[in-house]
Amino acid sequence: MAVRTIEVRERLMARNDELAASVRQQLQDTGVTAFNLVSSPGSGKTLLLERTLTALGEELGIAVVTGDVQTQNDADRLARHTTRLVQAVMTGGACHLDARQILTALEAIDLGRTRLLFIENVGNLVCPASWDLGEAAKVVLFSVTEGEDKPLKYPKMFQMARYAVVNKIDLLPHLDFDVDRAIANARAVNPELRFFLTSARTGEGVDAWFGFLRQQAGVVQTT
Amino acid sequence: MHEMSLALEVAQLVEPAVPAPPGRLLRVGVVVGDDAGVEPESLRFCLGAVLAHPPFNGAEPVLRRTAGDTLRLDFLEVDDGRPDH
Repeated sequence: MAVRTIEVRERLMARNDELAASVRQQLQDTGVTAFNLVSSPGSGKTLLLERTLTALGEELGIAVVTGDVQTQNDADRLARHTTRLVQAVMTGGACHLDARQILTALEAIDLGRTRLLFIENVGNLVCPASWDLGEAAKVVLFSVTEGEDKPLKYPKMFQMARYAVVNKIDLLPHLDFDVDRAIANARAVNPELRFFLTSARTGEGVDAWFGFLRQQAGVVQTT
Repeated sequence: MHEMSLALEVAQLVEPAVPAPPGRLLRVGVVVGDDAGVEPESLRFCLGAVLAHPPFNGAEPVLRRTAGDTLRLDFLEVDDGRPDH
């Protein structure tokens, strides 16, 4: 028999990355800034988006794509805060969104009247870090009930993110969560991270987040 | 956690290169970076499960660790089914 070895050297993420580049180009051409919201389940991604849509949905032309393993619960919650269609992607078991799903979702979004696009990823601090969706930046949420060492336990997600939202700060008086230590842990894995401290439930700290989004949407000048 | 979807991606990349019988695919080499976010033993298990079926017919996954976030299909070893000369 004739055994031969074929060199392949094909990156496994190459196809996803091609599709992500296509998403990125489409968003750039239409002047849309996209954020990929990532966190463990229950950190408050949906509640932060509900509050954001209520305050800025019309002003900033915000469109949303949500991803969940099962159910459209998040999309249904968000739909109450916007007149626009919220695109729900059910991954059917997959632990992350991929660029193909975003490319498909974009077909149903009027990008001409969109300035900000939020992609609410599947709640998971591991897998979504590996998949480029064509976003401008990843925003990682972690809530004060999760423990200060999350950035050390899941470093890739914090390395891939440009912004971090420490959420549920209204609960701080009831917990021994050390905010400074949490931020130091996150900066240890990614010194460039920019932080927001919020309570999506009470609205504490969300003004800084809203101001940032206005800058990103080009409504006010970036400082 | 997404090792099975990666294994399926490997299968899609490999399938066009599988020789027609009596040739067969023998080994599939994958390079996994330490920072790739992939558990090598889990990927090996998933690749084994995927490669057990036609047209792969039990080809052996060969994983090689490396530094960094590399994740790539490295090589294929095939028996092209032609008799020795």
